[in-house]
Amino acid sequence: MATQLPLTSAQRTTFANRIAERFNQTLPLWLLLPTLLVLAVIQFYPGIYSIILSLQDRRAGAVEWVGFRNFERIFESAIFRESVGHTVVFLVGYVLVTMVASLAVALLLNQRLRLGGVYLALLFIPWVIADIIVGLIFGLLVVPEYGLLSPILSNPTLFPPKGLSIPSDPPPKPWIAGFPFPPAPAMVYLILASSWRALPFITLLLLAALKTVPSEIVESARIDGAGRLQLLFRIILPLILPTMVVALFNLMLGGINGIGLVFSLTRGGPGTATEVLSYLLYTIGFQRLEFGRAAALAVFMAVINLALILLTLRVSRVDERTT
Amino acid sequence: MHPARRSTLGIAATIALLAAACQAPAPQPAQPSAPQQAQPATQEREFITWYQYDETNTDPKSDERVGNEYLRKTIPLFNEAFKGKWRWVNQPQPFDQMATRLTAAVQAGGEVPDLMQSSDANLIPFLKNGVVQDLTDWIKAQPWFDDLDPSAVAACTGPDGRIYCVPVAMTPQIVFAWKDYFPNGYPKTPEEFKQVAEQLKAKGVYAITFFGSTAFDGEGTTRFTNTLIKSFGGTFDDGQGNMKLDTPENRAAIEFLREIIAAGYVHPRSWDGTTTPFIEEEPMKTAEAASFPTGIFGYRYVNPLKAPNGREYNKGNEEDMLDAITNGDVFIAPFFAPEGRKPGCGTGVTGFVIPNGAKNPEAAKDYINWIMSKEQNPDWVLGPGGGFPALRSMLPEIEARMPVAKAFYEQAAAAVAASECRPWYGTLERRNEAKKIIQTAIFKLVKEDPTADISAVLKAAEEEYNKGN
Repeated sequence: MATQLPLTSAQRTTFANRIAERFNQTLPLWLLLPTLLVLAVIQFYPGIYSIILSLQDRRAGAVEWVGFRNFERIFESAIFRESVGHTVVFLVGYVLVTMVASLAVALLLNQRLRLGGVYLALLFIPWVIADIIVGLIFGLLVVPEYGLLSPILSNPTLFPPKGLSIPSDPPPKPWIAGFPFPPAPAMVYLILASSWRALPFITLLLLAALKTVPSEIVESARIDGAGRLQLLFRIILPLILPTMVVALFNLMLGGINGIGLVFSLTRGGPGTATEVLSYLLYTIGFQRLEFGRAAALAVFMAVINLALILLTLRVSRVDERTT
Repeated sequence: MHPARRSTLGIAATIALLAAACQAPAPQPAQPSAPQQAQPATQEREFITWYQYDETNTDPKSDERVGNEYLRKTIPLFNEAFKGKWRWVNQPQPFDQMATRLTAAVQAGGEVPDLMQSSDANLIPFLKNGVVQDLTDWIKAQPWFDDLDPSAVAACTGPDGRIYCVPVAMTPQIVFAWKDYFPNGYPKTPEEFKQVAEQLKAKGVYAITFFGSTAFDGEGTTRFTNTLIKSFGGTFDDGQGNMKLDTPENRAAIEFLREIIAAGYVHPRSWDGTTTPFIEEEPMKTAEAASFPTGIFGYRYVNPLKAPNGREYNKGNEEDMLDAITNGDVFIAPFFAPEGRKPGCGTGVTGFVIPNGAKNPEAAKDYINWIMSKEQNPDWVLGPGGGFPALRSMLPEIEARMPVAKAFYEQAAAAVAASECRPWYGTLERRNEAKKIIQTAIFKLVKEDPTADISAVLKAAEEEYNKGN
């Protein structure tokens, strides 16, 4: 048997240096490791598991691989097509209403108002209320007998011919067959409730952006004779465009995935008038316990989300290059 | 410090941290043996249940006050009866999420209860997802098995012929009606109904209110639509597991519904459950509506009451409806049906399931035997069960114990006997999906577009379901 000779002091130093150098090179990885482990457990594993589940049909004690059958069943169902339409209507309405209202409020708050801080604090109330509570409150407002808004809504002069019932009035006849527009009153109400909830955050984002607009540019535009609208559309909006893009995609991602308000306010009704994709996912997965189909829908929605994220990144990069 | 040494120390610290994190938990110091020896041979263990009721909720206005009160009263009794063996711990769950939560818990290998209150409507999804235990051998060996109503046992039986739940109460669909509005009894035929409804309309009263919305994944199918369709001789399935809606009988039922809605006989709250769950009960409570077809369990929820004659029943519990029936202000009737047909009636059971993965299934079995005893069964049937006892010998016992329930049960039994009662789903397996599809189709036809082609909408609904078969 060969005898191992003890390392000399110089050899030990070289060895330690080599390890130290290696460690320094990989230090970022070590620092990232805890985060990666957490992400692996709460993001990657459920994501991959959902993809696997979307290809399976689970029965008691048995798993059957069904290929893309769950996807086929989702895509060929009428309620899926309806839900896509409702989701589009909801997203467009939600994004438009929220952006316009938030911009208006942000422009107001950007003026030197007395008690501006108080308004800002009050504005934040909806943001700290949970979706479920917002839904319950908005639901109570339109209860036909005693809802705060019911005297207005049930007024036939305002809403001919016999007033408006948010909980049960069906949508008008669609302008384009198969596409749910104009929406049902409940969908409009859902959009308003969701926008009310999102208003503070988007307002704050836009307000922060407005504060960064150099006053010199605004002043020189004024001196050059720019009117208020010209100032807004030619100077201010282009300067805060990057923030608006971020706000836009934030709203779209929140809108497509949000379920709290639909769940607590309309439960997809009346009929299927507010059945958006996220609520359909909830009903398939958690009410009908059809996990394979629900996973297929979740994968589809993940793809949409991914596309939106990539689009955001692309727009941001284009924007960085142009500014 | 030398950089190399600093790095070496860093590596050592990282490894130590990782090692500490990955290490198994340090063993607890050994317990002294003396106290262990002092403990009783059979240690009291927790018996976990999931009910839709919460014994800690003392709110007298809570929708579930009857069940909450029942648990508050009963948990100490059970704990006393099984002192030293089981201690009952109830974990309340929202009624529309119980099945989902249990399925998720079983599939994830998480903490599951030893027993859950459940209805037969959950049976197929539970079987498909391997959620509940096969109780066939055990239940057949119990002394009370032969006393169970065969239809209740059938409702708990899976397609494989095995029994997966324990039926305790049966919940058929009936009609609650105000006597002042129907002095000659509830109409027997749709024509009679329309005549009386017209007279009531002249007095400013709606003849009927019902669960017409699509809320709770189409729950209206089980609470009203099924009664209407079956009374007209219709059906939801072809007997082979396929949905079959486009039939002459179903079309006739829907045409009738369109007619009475257009005539203004249906209270508008019937459709408002979307944003305010169960609001369709309100017109019955205030006598704005003259009748309310629903499950027999409705007596627990439809209170307080104000009769058309001004008499008030405002205890705020199930006794209000029972008192109103005993006093003759409210009566129970079967639904109406076209000449020559028997009224239709849905029926279901409520009872218990024992989930796979339950830590103490023996506790659950002790509990079920306790609930099936003559002392406990009547209270469960009148409380959480909200219906007829599945044990046939218990009905006289309940009537004797609660004289106020005597008239209620007599009338309900007569209504059920005069109807043809069977589970709404027939051979449809995906019941939650089916009831949403059916109720959505009905809502479209009578509310969204009363001029839509009935046959086309029903066919589309059938196809939607049958694609999944």
